[in-house]
Amino acid sequence: MSDQYDARKLLALACIWAALLLAPYWMPPLGGYTALGTRVLVLGLAAMSLNFLLGFTGVLSFGHAAYFGLGAYGAGLSLKFLAASSPLALLMGMLLGGVAGALLGTLIVRRRGVYFAMVTIAFGQVFYYIAFQWSSLTGGDDGLRGFSRQPLDFGLFKIDILSNADYFYYFVLFCFALIVAIMSFILRSPFGRTMLAIRENERRARFLGIAIERHIWIVFTLSCFFIGFAGALYALLNNFADPRGLHYSQSGDFVMMAVMGGMRSFWGPLLGAAVFVVLQDYLSSVTVNWMSFVGLLFVLVVLFFPRGLLGMVRRKLAS
Amino acid sequence: MLQLLLFNVTNGLIIGAFYVLMALGLSLILNLSNVINFAHGGFLVVGGYIAYTITPYVGFWGALLIAPPLTAIIGLLAERVLIRPLYGRDPLYSLLLTFGLAFIFEDGTRFIWGAQGKPVTVPAVLAQPLSYEFFFITGYRLFMVAMVVVAVAVLFVLLRYTRLGIRIRAGTLDLETVSALGVNVRTLRSLNFAVGIFLAGLSGVLAAGQLGLEPTMGSGLLMPSFIAIIVGGVGSLTGTLLGGLLIGVASGITAVFLPAASEAIMYVLMAVVLLIRPRGLLGEEGMMT
Amino acid sequence: MTLLTVDNVSRHFGSLIAVDDISMTVAPGELRAVIGPNGAGKTTFFNMISGFLIPTSGRIIFDGEDITRLLPARRVWRGIARTFQITEVFPELTIRENLRIAVESASGFRLRLWQTSEEDRKVRQRVDELLEMSGLGQKAHRLVGELAHGDQRANEIMMALALRPRLLLLDEPTAGMGDQETYDITQLIRKLHRDQKLTIVLIEHDMRVVFHLADRIMVLAEGKMLAEGTPKEIAANEAVQAAYLGKAAA
Repeated sequence: MSDQYDARKLLALACIWAALLLAPYWMPPLGGYTALGTRVLVLGLAAMSLNFLLGFTGVLSFGHAAYFGLGAYGAGLSLKFLAASSPLALLMGMLLGGVAGALLGTLIVRRRGVYFAMVTIAFGQVFYYIAFQWSSLTGGDDGLRGFSRQPLDFGLFKIDILSNADYFYYFVLFCFALIVAIMSFILRSPFGRTMLAIRENERRARFLGIAIERHIWIVFTLSCFFIGFAGALYALLNNFADPRGLHYSQSGDFVMMAVMGGMRSFWGPLLGAAVFVVLQDYLSSVTVNWMSFVGLLFVLVVLFFPRGLLGMVRRKLAS
Repeated sequence: MLQLLLFNVTNGLIIGAFYVLMALGLSLILNLSNVINFAHGGFLVVGGYIAYTITPYVGFWGALLIAPPLTAIIGLLAERVLIRPLYGRDPLYSLLLTFGLAFIFEDGTRFIWGAQGKPVTVPAVLAQPLSYEFFFITGYRLFMVAMVVVAVAVLFVLLRYTRLGIRIRAGTLDLETVSALGVNVRTLRSLNFAVGIFLAGLSGVLAAGQLGLEPTMGSGLLMPSFIAIIVGGVGSLTGTLLGGLLIGVASGITAVFLPAASEAIMYVLMAVVLLIRPRGLLGEEGMMT
Repeated sequence: MTLLTVDNVSRHFGSLIAVDDISMTVAPGELRAVIGPNGAGKTTFFNMISGFLIPTSGRIIFDGEDITRLLPARRVWRGIARTFQITEVFPELTIRENLRIAVESASGFRLRLWQTSEEDRKVRQRVDELLEMSGLGQKAHRLVGELAHGDQRANEIMMALALRPRLLLLDEPTAGMGDQETYDITQLIRKLHRDQKLTIVLIEHDMRVVFHLADRIMVLAEGKMLAEGTPKEIAANEAVQAAYLGKAAA
């Protein structure tokens, strides 16, 4: 994470953005479809939000899907009961996820290591449970339905993101770019460097005068805002909010995306999300036992590719 | 009113006893090896299904005797091959691995035995309700509690008086010193894991008789175990015991006043404990990492 | 006039008494060495001064303020910095990045999302200063985790120095080092002591280092203080000689 603007890094960045901007054009010929790209973007954003905490601060949160799900429900409920506005839905979703994260974060950051992970999982499950039980509000097991993303109304013109998949894709890409820019900005600042310090050596960070718990709480809250936003986008994508999106297995998926792509790199989780989504899509269409294969994937990645795809690429480049 | 309360407290204790059995196994593994065994529920299910499969041949009692050790052996294999390589590394990886294992177990059991729930028949002698007034006290449930009590007692004796047990306890406090004293830490971890899985397998057999069997039941039972450990306190088995009973009782009492919240109360309890005493009821200071 | 006063401090771990009623006063600008065999309680003693542990009894007074129960991070702001027995640095970051984080923390920038170019310049300047002082300039771009032990230790000391401490605690700075590295670190410490007029308390096993650097020496054994005085006095002290110095006395 140095400040050097390598020619190589700029080139890689340019390639990534080129691929993202042109996705609706190169995906169909390869057998994909735009909505799949949108899905990868949203889940990739979620994984990157988690990685803000996991890969860059070294904090193991395994219950982040809860805030993703809250974002989804927040957006859905906003569209259903507040106003037919997509931007508002996104805002509400982000707020719901972020505020919940801020509140729970105060309880969670008192623990560390595996116990921290346990607590994050347990708290995540609270929301899963609520989503199921409070069926009058959330639709229970069936999930939240009866809403859909609204076309963007700028007064003079409208952008129909509801029926046009390509327009929606670019809308999501815009949102994605916004959040990614914010994340990147934060990571390059002194605040971001303190995050790294905590990841690298908590004890040393403490003895440099860094208030660890407070810092982790802030990063936790930020990551919950980001992932809540991603969840809201997901609800807009599906016109549906799923209680299963709150379950810790969804959290596990996000962690796996980050690990598979490479936890130590900024774009790794997006890559991991792409691979994971495509793989899962493919597997569930060819076999009923896709779950075993996903489980097997977890096992194999952990045992043999812990640094993830981009991690391996870096190794190759360094040697 | 008092009778109703007593009723539900007892009911809660019975539920709690079951949670204790699950949570103790999880806690053992967590304390010594710093691994959150997400697959614990999976092992429970596997234990239950093994019992179901062999019952026609050896009867219920035979299954009770054979299934847990068999499950423990599977656990031993999993630990040796999959988890052992990960000990030195970031706990993230063992978490992800057991997570993946849980998926494999769930889908595997679905593949082998089908997705439908399997009814498990229990010996007639146990199925009788023992009292018509307290109808929930069937012979089976009392038997379950009895089994838990026996298992906990045996575990206690194991940890207190056997060499393995003493090493496990010492290892939980200071693994480095234990290894410096010549104990093979890797074997210790494996055996500890096996004991934990034995308890999971036993839970599975018992659960099968009470709840029936189906591939997804493992994950549902995992959460109460987590909460029992968090509430009871990090690093303390007695704490886990207490935690399990506490959430069982809390659940039972809540069922009287607010039936819909009887599951939620566990989470509330956990939040309260974390607020007031972050290390848990009997947790030890300094076990924060 | 003392900078640090340790007042009858003890630390128990259950029935185990790690530190038993030790008192120490350190004057500003002094370099004090704490020596003693393994298990004498030196690191526990240090941990209490730096805030990692709280004494079971006794007080610690730094520059007139009772800091006995103050959190480690707070003590850093009072002016106490330390290094650890096992070098604690940021292994996957470069020396420059390690120092930069230390300087930024010292400047109060930890939570900042941006800095003016003036502030940035000052930070860079300070980092360069520290690099020059320690002679690590050539290796500034390398990952600390990949460097030799001596350089890692130098990096750690400079990170502590970035905090502009008034008291520097060094826990076995030359542990595990060969002769050349030991010499380099000793020179670095000496330079810092003289040029920066730092008050330093260090734990050491290597008697050459101790006698080369220390103004005063305190000897601990089994949690208690055995002797205290100038290097000459300690060298001449028979009890100390018999038990601990052996043939390593310079």
